[in-house]
Amino acid sequence: MTTLTLSKAINAGLHHALADDDRVLLLGEDIGRLGGVFRVTDGLQAEFGADRVVDMPLAESAIIGAAIGLAFRGFRPVCEIQFDGFIYPGFDQIVAQLAKLHYRTKGAVRMPVTIRVPYGGGIGAVEHHSESPEAYFAHTAGLRVVTCSDPQDAHTMIRQAIACDDPVLFFEPKRRYWTKGEVLDDLPADPLAFTRARTVRAGTDATLVAYGPLVQTALEAAEAAADEGVDLEVIDLRSLAPLDVDAIAASVEKTGRLVITHEAQRSGGIGAELAASITERCFDLLEEAPVRVTGFDTPYPASALEDHFLPDLDRILDGVDRALGRRSSASAAGRAEARPVTGGEGRR
Amino acid sequence: METHTQFPQDSDERGGDAREPVPVDHGCVQLLDPDGVRQEDALYDLFVADLGHAELLALYEDMVVTRRIDTEATALQRQGEIGLWPPSLGQEAAQVGSARVLRRGDFVFTSYREQAVAYCRGVELDQLMAMWRGTALSGWDPFAVGMATPAVIIGAQTLHATGYAMGCQRDGSDAVAVAYFGDGATSQGDVNEALVLAASFQAPVVFFCQNNQYAISEPVGLQAQRPIADRAPGFGVPSMRVDGNDVLAVTAAMRIAVDRARSGGGPTFIEAVTYRMGPHTTSDDPTRYRDESEVVSWRAKDPIARLERLLESEGALDETARAHVASVADAAAARVRAGCLALPAPDPLSLFDEVYATAHPGLERQREEYRSYLAMFDGGAR
Amino acid sequence: MKRFSLPDLGEGLTESELVSWRVAVGDHVELNQVIAEVETAKALVELPAPTAGVVTRLHVEPGTTVLVGEALVDFAPDGETAPSPSVPEADRAEVDRPSGAADREPVLVGYGPRTASGERPRRRARSGDDDTPAPAHTVPAHTAPVPERSRPRATPPVRRLARDLGVDLGTLVGTGVGGRIAREEVERAATGPSGQLPERARGAGAAPAGTPATPATAATAADGSVRRPITGVRRRTAEAMVSSAFTAPHVTEFLTVDVTPTMSLLDALARSPRTGDHRVNILTVLAKAVCIAVRRTPAVNASWDEAAGEIVEYGHVGLGIAAATPRGLLVPNIARAEELSLFELADAVADLVRTAREGRTAPAELRGGTITISNVGVFGVDAGTPILNPGEAAIIALGAVRRRPWEFEGQVALRHVVTLSLSFDHRLIDGEQGSRFLVDLGTMLSDPAMVLTMV
Repeated sequence: MTTLTLSKAINAGLHHALADDDRVLLLGEDIGRLGGVFRVTDGLQAEFGADRVVDMPLAESAIIGAAIGLAFRGFRPVCEIQFDGFIYPGFDQIVAQLAKLHYRTKGAVRMPVTIRVPYGGGIGAVEHHSESPEAYFAHTAGLRVVTCSDPQDAHTMIRQAIACDDPVLFFEPKRRYWTKGEVLDDLPADPLAFTRARTVRAGTDATLVAYGPLVQTALEAAEAAADEGVDLEVIDLRSLAPLDVDAIAASVEKTGRLVITHEAQRSGGIGAELAASITERCFDLLEEAPVRVTGFDTPYPASALEDHFLPDLDRILDGVDRALGRRSSASAAGRAEARPVTGGEGRR
Repeated sequence: METHTQFPQDSDERGGDAREPVPVDHGCVQLLDPDGVRQEDALYDLFVADLGHAELLALYEDMVVTRRIDTEATALQRQGEIGLWPPSLGQEAAQVGSARVLRRGDFVFTSYREQAVAYCRGVELDQLMAMWRGTALSGWDPFAVGMATPAVIIGAQTLHATGYAMGCQRDGSDAVAVAYFGDGATSQGDVNEALVLAASFQAPVVFFCQNNQYAISEPVGLQAQRPIADRAPGFGVPSMRVDGNDVLAVTAAMRIAVDRARSGGGPTFIEAVTYRMGPHTTSDDPTRYRDESEVVSWRAKDPIARLERLLESEGALDETARAHVASVADAAAARVRAGCLALPAPDPLSLFDEVYATAHPGLERQREEYRSYLAMFDGGAR
Repeated sequence: MKRFSLPDLGEGLTESELVSWRVAVGDHVELNQVIAEVETAKALVELPAPTAGVVTRLHVEPGTTVLVGEALVDFAPDGETAPSPSVPEADRAEVDRPSGAADREPVLVGYGPRTASGERPRRRARSGDDDTPAPAHTVPAHTAPVPERSRPRATPPVRRLARDLGVDLGTLVGTGVGGRIAREEVERAATGPSGQLPERARGAGAAPAGTPATPATAATAADGSVRRPITGVRRRTAEAMVSSAFTAPHVTEFLTVDVTPTMSLLDALARSPRTGDHRVNILTVLAKAVCIAVRRTPAVNASWDEAAGEIVEYGHVGLGIAAATPRGLLVPNIARAEELSLFELADAVADLVRTAREGRTAPAELRGGTITISNVGVFGVDAGTPILNPGEAAIIALGAVRRRPWEFEGQVALRHVVTLSLSFDHRLIDGEQGSRFLVDLGTMLSDPAMVLTMV
């Protein structure tokens, strides 16, 4: 057991993957000589060589397309997209090719490609470096989408993602790269463990679901809530596609209240899918409607405003208040918007 | 200094009519002219010197058969048995000549018009028809024949071929990857990125561009202001430009390219200048955008006719040979038809098959729900 | 026989014109031999024969426009026996086609969208439901530990109702799917006045939307005063009262009568073997009297329907009996009371009162009342000015029966005396009607034998 930063934990995971399977290759911009702009691939080219840790031309579509060709040849490529906002030139190769090849060939061709993407905001950056594009990929049949929140998960999940025969988008919360934590080397026995949610704090009053960078924020919010006598259950979603609805439903059966938080924009986000699924599954166990605490439906703003855009402890607890039926910003905003007006008929 | 505030409105001002196809004799290698007369080329002749009558007859048969398959498929569409067919009529020499150079262990990534390549790689004729009949998204196991499923997204396959070639390098194998694509594809970013990638890593990939003069209705002059073959050297990839209707020139160029790749010499770009004699697909009406006179002029350059004339002039195409070729073609046509009509309609629940290689409970649940839904109806599935 | 219909030719058309036939009936054709030319958007398309065989019938004249899917030509395929041209067998080409390509509008990249058939949209016929239960919750391999006591299951509207009525869902059983608690169970548990509103009287008593539930706990202030939150039950009662009082103009009339003969009758009934277990009391007698009197003054058994602009005179009597219950005031009613005999009425009233006292009044009993009796006499008072049950036109308060000095046969004597207080809705009942009704009641109570003159 060692204490590692999240980025070092991924580095260790990549190291394992490269050492354990000589079909594993890393492809990306600046990952070789430089060791990656976040140093996540530091030292790996020196150890495994330029044939296995490959500095690629500045061409995201080429990185993904080449990975597909290498997968045809029986390799297990791990691509790095340097920043979330740069993934779009590769979008066609990801959704039209990578996601569909297994289906298109009725399983004859496997695409065991992992695409690592640093994502999320809160780092005071310029445009295009703070995006949360996970929903586009979660919506694409044929892809798996996962995200880690702490060093231990970063380590085991990257290894399991690489070992998985399906294409996996692996979103890394860049503002947590420097978080430290204990990391054990062993892998869970179940190779698909990385596709399931994890309860990170048990509780009884409400279920608070987060993923990636906001898991830490959610835990902090739970601590603050405890001071007010509110006992929150916090769940790290970990897998965005498929969503582990079973785990969330089991928690909501206990608490009857659900709050979901993510940095990504509200409309059409992961929270929307989870809220709908839980409402379907737990309709007669819900005390209040599910609450989403998310980024606004705007492009990610200038860094001077990002603290307003990003859900923080207070906004999350405001959402929890709402889920508990307490006074919250929703009551201030007017219940006419929050609940449908029934008109003169009155309630029967 | 003069500044141009007006951009040229008229193609004439640019010099050259965009509607005219690039003339074949603009720096194009030719070993067999449209009249079936051998043309000499000191370099390229070396690479076809070993082709005797037997080999030429084999190429002739392949071209006749693949044209016949193409004709039969077109008829099937006109008879409502398949929804769509993109004819390869006129491009037989480009596809057969290049594909027959390859080995079993090489790997091919094509667009959706390379049925002659598929035939040469050993794709079964019913498998060829599946995606057009709509019973499957694709028809064959790529690893059984060394050919990926046809790419419908234009140009995407060039990156796959380059990545595959990079894999061959790492394996220490002398296998070669080939990317087939058209003139229009060269405008796509992926194709250009693939050239960068191939050059950067000296990947053993052949970029085989069939310039058939049209991308649906858009003439090549819209996509290329210089011969397409001129681009590749700008990326650091050597290129050749050949008469795509000349199976000898195509063979020679392909051999050069493949030898280069196998020996670690890196990628090559081949532009095979040919003509799409038929429509873009059976849903297209080319009379809307091109003159019959143009088609007639290209008919005179037919790839099969010129080889036939050569073989006849050398006494290699006697009645026995003709009859044999005809029977092979007839049999192929019959197999296409019968195979197509026999393709089984897929089971509705197979819709959910093989989306993932690993277990996916959410999708399993959806399948179960749909199964229950179908069970509600008289007669079950539609 | 093989029929060839016009396929979609990929020209984006639903029809084409047959320009010319290249064959005639009786001709033998080879597979793929061109048999016709059709015109599609100024392009001539040649149609190849789908089979080798003999042409047996040409369906279309040159120059005719043919729809996709329409028959063009019939063949007797080679290898078949004599053609049977009169039998329109299923089109084998159609059967072979994977998805009925003939009815689709062709597009550049495939078969094309299906064109409208022109028929009325119709659902597919369904057989019995699939017996296999839909996997609503497939048990996952590992979940959070199952809580020992599962939380009660109720849909959000029902939870809201329970909150408003002050019902603890945990005390209910839940007999719906998966143990779901239904609205009726909550209403039954509450026996709250929300269901008390007759269906006609809508709008009254509705809580404002969005009111958060507040716990019904009293708080004692420093000065000793106690503050009790206004919860669902009391709130609803209050709303009903307010609505009624300030909608209908109430007039109350009083009549004090000597009911000594009725009391004697009750004694006699109590001793009579005919009575059995039925317990007849003064309330029973009044109930009976009301049922009789409403026939003589139908206006009192009616309702003012403002929304419809109508006065509704009921054809039956839903006799409400105001009852005090653990949760507060309730008015369950006896449906079709006019059809009940005296003994049946006695039983019904007794049941009603007992059920109410036990808090088990069913919601159905709270709906459909047409006229109400309030027995204030049990509290020991003589008279009052009762408030109409919302939606009704009359309410009678029955006071306590007292021994009082009263005029009897020209002398002052101690008699059994009771006051009846009648409040009525002056919009639809005028003084004469109200008075007549009240006097009828008084007459029957003071001299039961007078009933003979009223039925």
